[in-house]
Amino acid sequence: MKAQNVQKGSKTNRGGIRFSDWNNYLFLLPALVFMAIFIIYPIFYNAVLSFKDVNVYNLNGKQNFVGFDNYIKTFKDQVFYIAAKNSVIFTVVSIFFQFVIGFALALLFNSKFPGRNLFRSLMLLAWMLPVVITGTVFQWMMSGDYGVINYFLQSIGLIDQPINWLSEGNTALLGTIIANIWIGIPFNMIILLSGLQTLPEQLYEAAKLDGANRLLQFKHITLPLMRPTILVLLMLGIINTFKVFDLIFIMTAGGPVTSSTVLPIYAYQLSFSMFDFSHGASVSMIMFVLLILVAIVYLKMSNKEEAH
Amino acid sequence: MKKSWPKLILATVIMSLVLTACGSAENSNEQGNAAKGDKVTIQWWDSMTSEATQGALTKIIADYETANPNVKIERTFISFADIKNKLLLSSAGNQMPDIVWLDNPDHQAFAAAGILADITEEVKAWGQADKYFEGPWSSTMYEGKNYGVPIGSNNLALYYNVDMLKAANVAPPKTWDELKEAAKKLTTKDVYGFSMTAVKTEEGTFQFLPLMYQAGSDVTSFDSAGTVEAASLLQYMASNNYMSKEVLNQKQSDTVVQFSTGKTAMMINGTWQIPLLRKEGKVNWDVVQLPVNKQGGTILGGENWAITDASKHKDIAFDIIKFANEPDNLKSFLQAAGRLPSRADYLEDPFWQDDKQLKVFADSMEVAKARAYGPNYPKISDSIQIMLQQVISGSKSPEDAVKEAGAKIQPILAQ
Repeated sequence: MKAQNVQKGSKTNRGGIRFSDWNNYLFLLPALVFMAIFIIYPIFYNAVLSFKDVNVYNLNGKQNFVGFDNYIKTFKDQVFYIAAKNSVIFTVVSIFFQFVIGFALALLFNSKFPGRNLFRSLMLLAWMLPVVITGTVFQWMMSGDYGVINYFLQSIGLIDQPINWLSEGNTALLGTIIANIWIGIPFNMIILLSGLQTLPEQLYEAAKLDGANRLLQFKHITLPLMRPTILVLLMLGIINTFKVFDLIFIMTAGGPVTSSTVLPIYAYQLSFSMFDFSHGASVSMIMFVLLILVAIVYLKMSNKEEAH
Repeated sequence: MKKSWPKLILATVIMSLVLTACGSAENSNEQGNAAKGDKVTIQWWDSMTSEATQGALTKIIADYETANPNVKIERTFISFADIKNKLLLSSAGNQMPDIVWLDNPDHQAFAAAGILADITEEVKAWGQADKYFEGPWSSTMYEGKNYGVPIGSNNLALYYNVDMLKAANVAPPKTWDELKEAAKKLTTKDVYGFSMTAVKTEEGTFQFLPLMYQAGSDVTSFDSAGTVEAASLLQYMASNNYMSKEVLNQKQSDTVVQFSTGKTAMMINGTWQIPLLRKEGKVNWDVVQLPVNKQGGTILGGENWAITDASKHKDIAFDIIKFANEPDNLKSFLQAAGRLPSRADYLEDPFWQDDKQLKVFADSMEVAKARAYGPNYPKISDSIQIMLQQVISGSKSPEDAVKEAGAKIQPILAQ
């Protein structure tokens, strides 16, 4: 610990002026105050809420601490496990396709062809549209009675009966996943593309001279060099996708029954449809802990990366 | 480094305390000024969207301000979907309006939460409580005390496509058997015979409850043969494709579009759709009361006025409510909004009595039942929505779904 400090200190003191550690950290104060008010306090408040019994009866009255009661209630609720399972499916499938398709497009846009900038900008539209619009449009397209997706599938003969994408228990979650993949592709593409553009050209030239084909180049140059970018992207993707609420709320509101209820929807319904604020808070805290675990794994991995 | 951390945390905490302290000091200053100054500002929240309704409201507000120059009313629009959450969050943050509009099934929950002011005395002095229908009035009561005044009401009836019924040689259904028969005959390749809403929100519950009432059941006796019969009716409609399964994702505003474009021959929908259908409907339509099973019956919807407990000017707020309730003021608003008066004396107005279609809804007011099931109603409603979706999607039989929901509702009612 000490040794590291000295090293860091000497690095930052290159200019010759000697700040003590205390003074250096003082520069962080504005950011820390901001975080304390807008991030740490709400999380702390939510944590406290999850150990109380706040509901519609005592919102402005006396609120008792009930220990882990809310968590026990959550773990005893069948819907929690359905929501957790749906959340995992939603996140894994979304990220997988967003990433694979995004990577393919990034590779495409990394080569030079006429109209490349135009198409790249057009691709970003999907990401820039407000989710309310995307969700509503997908809801229309997936409608069983007049949706264009059914029309298309029927006219090329893939299905004979229209599918009620969002009102059938076994397709509702899939419908929201498809919409979410569409939204996420451009973001994945842009991040991967900017990563690709920093890769040194010489490596590819040298590899070509050595007779490596495209696939080998991709496997031995692109992928290893892109590792840090990919890690960041997947990490951000998991956190962002795990918290998706608006899209699902607009498209299915978690239904039919609970077939597309994910953890954020479940927490929202507990807090704001049923006014059971503490119960909802406990679900949010569980999500928070899960995401912290993901973040820790990421930090461990990126530390290893740096060590290499 | 180790030593600097505690200091740092301390500094952060102090600074955030200082900042929040500044914030609240400013707030109390503002409020102080308002009270001392010559003008009193009343915050008013509602969720009326259409131009006509907003126009009627703006006029009421302007008239009141002219008559009472020392009062300024600041009207804020908050969308229907947000007003509950906004009110709860504001209650935690102490930034409450003085007057607020509430959807009537939520009224008791907000009264229980201590957000609304008890205005029992004021209402008694006003002396007009007996003019109101029992349904709307009961939604403003909680534990024998009065927490609001009804604004307007609506209920559900059966809209039908006149041309389609004529072509299929079907009379507008008066009983459930006729309804089933009509739905069957009216269904074609492109048209569903029957439609309603079964979304996973309060709208779904709102549409299902009247069927339960007609089958002789109620929320207080949920796990009963009547409820199963009501659920079976919908299962019959959905499994035979007389009703689209898309009703699971179709709000009442979506259902009316299906109806007005000729995609469905009959629908259950509310009073407020009349202005829209008259203006934009592309079909020849009419409306009848909901079909009867063991008994007739429909559900009551509508909004109430409430004064928040945090309001510093409850007397002025109630005076505004009284002013807005004067016949001319309220009627002009209700007419623009496609709503019915919640009080019998106003409903006598020829506007509602001489209009054949509005009269269908006006006549139902006597039997329209309010959702006054206590502050835990939102949880009950959630169980009903799940049951409704299970039955229509076919994932559970009506018997099983009703039993499951009943098991969830019983302990909530007992609380």
